[in-house]
Amino acid sequence: MLQMEAWRPTVTRGPLSAINQRVPDPFERLFLQEYPKVVAIAYRVLADRPAAEDVAQEVFLKFHRSYPPDSERASGWLHSAAVHSALNVIRGERRRAQRETAHALDPARPAIANPERLVEEAEQRREVRRALSRLPQRTAAVLMLRHSGLSYAEIATSLRIKVGNVGTLLRRAEEALRKEVNRATPE
Amino acid sequence: MRHLSDGTLRRIYDEPLALTAADQAHFDECPECKPRFNAIANEARTATTLLRVPAFEPQTHAALVAVRARIKREETARPPRWYERWLDRTSPRWRPMATPALAVLLAAVLLAGLGVSGVAQSLVRIFEPKQIVAVQVSPSDFAQTGTVLDYGQVKWLPEPPKLQQLTDAAAAQAQSGLPVLMPASLPKGVSGPVSYGVVSPATGSLTFDAARLQTSAAKAGVHVSPMPSTIDGSTLVVNGGPALIEVWGLSGTTEAANVPTLVIAQTRVPTVDSNGASTAQLEDYLLSQPGVPPDLAAQVRAIKDPSTTLPIPIPKGLATTESVQVNGTSGLLIKAVLGAGVVWVKNGVIYAVGGQLTPDQVLAIATSLQ
Repeated sequence: MLQMEAWRPTVTRGPLSAINQRVPDPFERLFLQEYPKVVAIAYRVLADRPAAEDVAQEVFLKFHRSYPPDSERASGWLHSAAVHSALNVIRGERRRAQRETAHALDPARPAIANPERLVEEAEQRREVRRALSRLPQRTAAVLMLRHSGLSYAEIATSLRIKVGNVGTLLRRAEEALRKEVNRATPE
Repeated sequence: MRHLSDGTLRRIYDEPLALTAADQAHFDECPECKPRFNAIANEARTATTLLRVPAFEPQTHAALVAVRARIKREETARPPRWYERWLDRTSPRWRPMATPALAVLLAAVLLAGLGVSGVAQSLVRIFEPKQIVAVQVSPSDFAQTGTVLDYGQVKWLPEPPKLQQLTDAAAAQAQSGLPVLMPASLPKGVSGPVSYGVVSPATGSLTFDAARLQTSAAKAGVHVSPMPSTIDGSTLVVNGGPALIEVWGLSGTTEAANVPTLVIAQTRVPTVDSNGASTAQLEDYLLSQPGVPPDLAAQVRAIKDPSTTLPIPIPKGLATTESVQVNGTSGLLIKAVLGAGVVWVKNGVIYAVGGQLTPDQVLAIATSLQ
């Protein structure tokens, strides 16, 4: 039987052991292991690829300025920074949109959507992000970390909560998101 | 006995293998926890639908080069002045957006949130597999039925399921929402790297239409019996996916070497809801349609609980099956000349392991997945 440990690509520890053997620089190792997850988290929140790549780069730069790459909590810090930075972007966007609409006359909303599906889907994603930006920060963070594919253990580490509480918070977050979207969707 | 908490039930949906033995035993037996789990799973599916984004594969190496360049610039540059820091913080990264919510969104919420929102109360869950059974099929039975009849209107929300290929485990996990499973060890002859396939979740509906069926049957020159009034006008809503497929052995440079040696697949169980026809009525009707071989129909009719049993077609004469246990869950072991596979259903997820392996190897992999 061939032991899998050497290249096992599980999301937590696996790739590091493979990367460890090839990549001597600890920051590069951390980057190769964590970037796919960090950018996936930012992308899930923002639904915009360039914006997600910007956030992911900023997160790694900030980490590089403040912490050694072999720090024990590196992964948890990166995931947490990714979700909070991305949520801050959509929150900032909401505040800006509020300021703008306060000065504008009622923008007549077209009743019928653009028939092109791509446009519809993009609009749907924006609508959901607006709802997301109205959720409490921790609620939104649990929701987005899970829907970016993080395990319950990883979510618990990033948000410094108990693994046993992740499911409860997540369930409440999903309910809150649905209510927020339904509230915002015109009857 | 104490019931499972909402949080534990929510975790079962994402990490079906993370349950303790005691919790699993309670869950398997408890008539109250099951419906609670279904409601929580529905809510989770709604969130997945709402938070869906187009697939993309991260460009890790390009990003590393960009970050390295920025680190180098920072290290050589003077410290930024206060107004530069301010500009950097406030520079717009996000384009303005202010247009209305759409019917598409509402429909997706309504459909994906069945049973949770209470809006679609007329819909009744008629199919949700909890166990599997083999049905023998002859490949030749299907060769002669090239006719596709039009049974009514089909809609996809938002689109039919798509397969996306990825090379990165984290990206595959992020796209599918399912944990990447790995065996404790690999048999000789199976080696990496692993390729990943993710099938997007999809919701589709079919509204039966007797008139359309008659028209298409007449066009194809096929005789169909009239659609019963219990079926005509009924809408079925099918929820399928996501699915995550892990494939070993696709890295061969020659065509001959490019055969998968091991495949591990998992998908959330598909469900069917109906606003009219019942499981029995649909089964009766669909099995009597032209092109369904009589012995296949007889095998499906013999299934005791059709609303919770998923039939797995096994080609007659090419493979045999037997019942096995995979960590306490009953599964179906399929033995063929070229390889073997095992399929089982646990906590709302269908798992399959197969490849050019012996039945023992396949079972060893299946029981060691984590």
